[in-house]
Amino acid sequence: MKKILPALGLWFLTCTAAYADKPLPADLPEWLALGHYQKKWFGYKGTIGSDNFYLSPKGKTNPTKELEATIALFQSDDTEKQCLFPARYMFLKKHGLVSAPFPSCAEFEQFREDLRPAGMTLLFTDAYMNNSSSLFGHTLLRVDTARKGTQLLAHGINYGAWTQGYENSFLYAVYGLAGFYPGGYTVKPYYDVINTYNNIENRDIWEYNLDLTPEELDLFVAHIWEVGQTTTPYYFFTQNCSYMLMELFDAVRPELKLAADFEGQTIPLDTIKAVNAREGLVKSVNYRPSRQRKIRHRIKQMNERQYDAFLDAVTLDLTGAQNLPEAEKADVLETAYQYVQYQYVAGDLALKDYRQKSFQLLKARNQAAAGQTFDELKEGQNPVSSHDSMMASFGIGVRNGDFFEQLSFRPAYHQVTDRGYGFLLGAEINFLDVSFRHYDKHDKYVLDKLNILQLSSFSPIDAVFQAASYRIGLDVSRQVNPKSEDEGYVLNGNVGGGGTFALNDHLWFYGLSSAEAAYGGFLPNNQWLGAGLAAGAIVSFAKTALQVEVKKVFATDKIGSTLKWNLRADYYLSRNRALEAVVAYTQNYGKNQTEALLRLKQYF
Amino acid sequence: MNKTLVASLMLGAAVMVSAPAYAIDSTGCGLGSMAWRGQSGILPQVAAVTTNGTFGTQTFGITFGTSGCDPNGRVTGGTQKMVLAFLENNLEQFAMDAAAGQGETLTTLAGIMDMDEKTVAEKTYQNFAVLFPNENVDAVDVTLKFYQIMKA
Repeated sequence: MKKILPALGLWFLTCTAAYADKPLPADLPEWLALGHYQKKWFGYKGTIGSDNFYLSPKGKTNPTKELEATIALFQSDDTEKQCLFPARYMFLKKHGLVSAPFPSCAEFEQFREDLRPAGMTLLFTDAYMNNSSSLFGHTLLRVDTARKGTQLLAHGINYGAWTQGYENSFLYAVYGLAGFYPGGYTVKPYYDVINTYNNIENRDIWEYNLDLTPEELDLFVAHIWEVGQTTTPYYFFTQNCSYMLMELFDAVRPELKLAADFEGQTIPLDTIKAVNAREGLVKSVNYRPSRQRKIRHRIKQMNERQYDAFLDAVTLDLTGAQNLPEAEKADVLETAYQYVQYQYVAGDLALKDYRQKSFQLLKARNQAAAGQTFDELKEGQNPVSSHDSMMASFGIGVRNGDFFEQLSFRPAYHQVTDRGYGFLLGAEINFLDVSFRHYDKHDKYVLDKLNILQLSSFSPIDAVFQAASYRIGLDVSRQVNPKSEDEGYVLNGNVGGGGTFALNDHLWFYGLSSAEAAYGGFLPNNQWLGAGLAAGAIVSFAKTALQVEVKKVFATDKIGSTLKWNLRADYYLSRNRALEAVVAYTQNYGKNQTEALLRLKQYF
Repeated sequence: MNKTLVASLMLGAAVMVSAPAYAIDSTGCGLGSMAWRGQSGILPQVAAVTTNGTFGTQTFGITFGTSGCDPNGRVTGGTQKMVLAFLENNLEQFAMDAAAGQGETLTTLAGIMDMDEKTVAEKTYQNFAVLFPNENVDAVDVTLKFYQIMKA
């Protein structure tokens, strides 16, 4: 988003600085970023919410006053308070604004001693379709450790909302949109982060190792300590987990100007892309697949007798596994053990059975030879190379012989026929997708559809994994009454559940049953309720995808009782450009409506 | 049905599912290891075996939360305390690595104990039945036996 009146803001600052006794570098990008100041129409506003962060009573809006107060703090003997601002001290020292040494701060030193920082890594965990708060993925930081061993002993730094006690509230989301929850930082060992995301929620973790100088790393850790004590109102779409991390990056390297990219919505994936796009910031990438993905990868490597033995082993019938050739045993038993862990976390196993199975499987595993022959999953589709979050399209079409042009815009995020690279397969989030049309015959401009929200999760069921599929939708659509041939707006809602079956990686079939409701003054009786049955197929390849679906709705009103055929096919011209054809056929009141659309989609 | 009710229910449902909250999880530490955790909770157990010092004070206050295991949510303390905290939270992965004689948890433990990785791997593999004699072990038992085995 472009800044309005930047010149005026600058004038304001120069003006303020001129009244100070001594010219201070308060307008230095370094200071502004350390204080989390964002430029507004008239001057600055600090992002951090809690009172203890800005030292001057006017510090939240006046960087100069805040700098003066900070200098005064380090001239005072309030060492307890000085210990809360090690990064600010580093700034003062660098600019010759402080002569006293930094005090001895036992707690901060213990923090550094525990973390033993060796580097920084930005973490991205992919979408979690079972929790509304994690649909868009999540980002957090890892302070890499210099401890001997592995990065399991590093620490994750997470910014999140304190929603305890409100999770089941009807207003849970409304509160979140309105900034009702305080946002704060937590620190936990990286093995806990892995357990939470990889093993409990079955989400992939992407690790982007940052290329920082030793001075930048010191400043980063010191600044984490500073903000670690603060809280800030948490806004789900804007000042969220990912946004705050952008401000942290800026504090360490102000020329990155990452926060400025996210003055509107902040989607976690977009922040990962922005960080990767800044030259010289990311030096390497590492992938940690979810437990579920690891198990799938192992199963794929099994031969037939191994697979049969595996299915028996998870029910504790180990005869098949014991009869395998020696070299084939270990992989089967280890996979069975991992699967039992998966089942327990999924709530499919009682504790007693889980313990018994785990123990028996590992005992058998230990009796087989050490080592493994299966290779572990190391490569994934880096989300950085996925299509961008926003999409606009222009298309031409025809509805019952009436030609039209259509313009659409979707601020977020992904539908099942969009290029799937880097996205969770079968997951769909369409948010505020709006389409306008011009019909040629009557030279009429109309809002065709506002798709407020559509969420789908198609998750294949097989002998090993059984997750339900679901779809939820809410939209305002312009509809034709086939009987009167009138047109008007209807609010449609539906919630459905069912199952998906994958024939292979490229061809999936699904079935959903749903509850449907519609409301609008245009409808003959203002509203209707209904039940729907849908069956469809999804075909996906690297360059193209297709979805075809037939849906029958039985409704309390004839206008709601429909039979619909839908076909949508996309061909990807590049990462961010696609051609799409849509054909829809609707039967209602015994009459047919056919519609076809061809559009060019651009993601940005 | 009241039409305002239908409309508001639908809107409400949509808002409910559309909010990216990234809520701070309250799952606590090592849920993945809950199954083999002792019944008495971690604090008494740690007190029972930790010989070198007590827990640190809660430096970050309420806003800087913890994993639920260590009050600071940090890897801290001396070797024995770290081994216990690590096993407490990674027992399931450790059990598999021990049974197989290789894996990330063994590399990590070798690092904590400042031992040769290969030695740790071989000893745990050979002594799996000692570490996990039955299905009702808990992290404290495993830690104590792990120490005995490593010292042997």
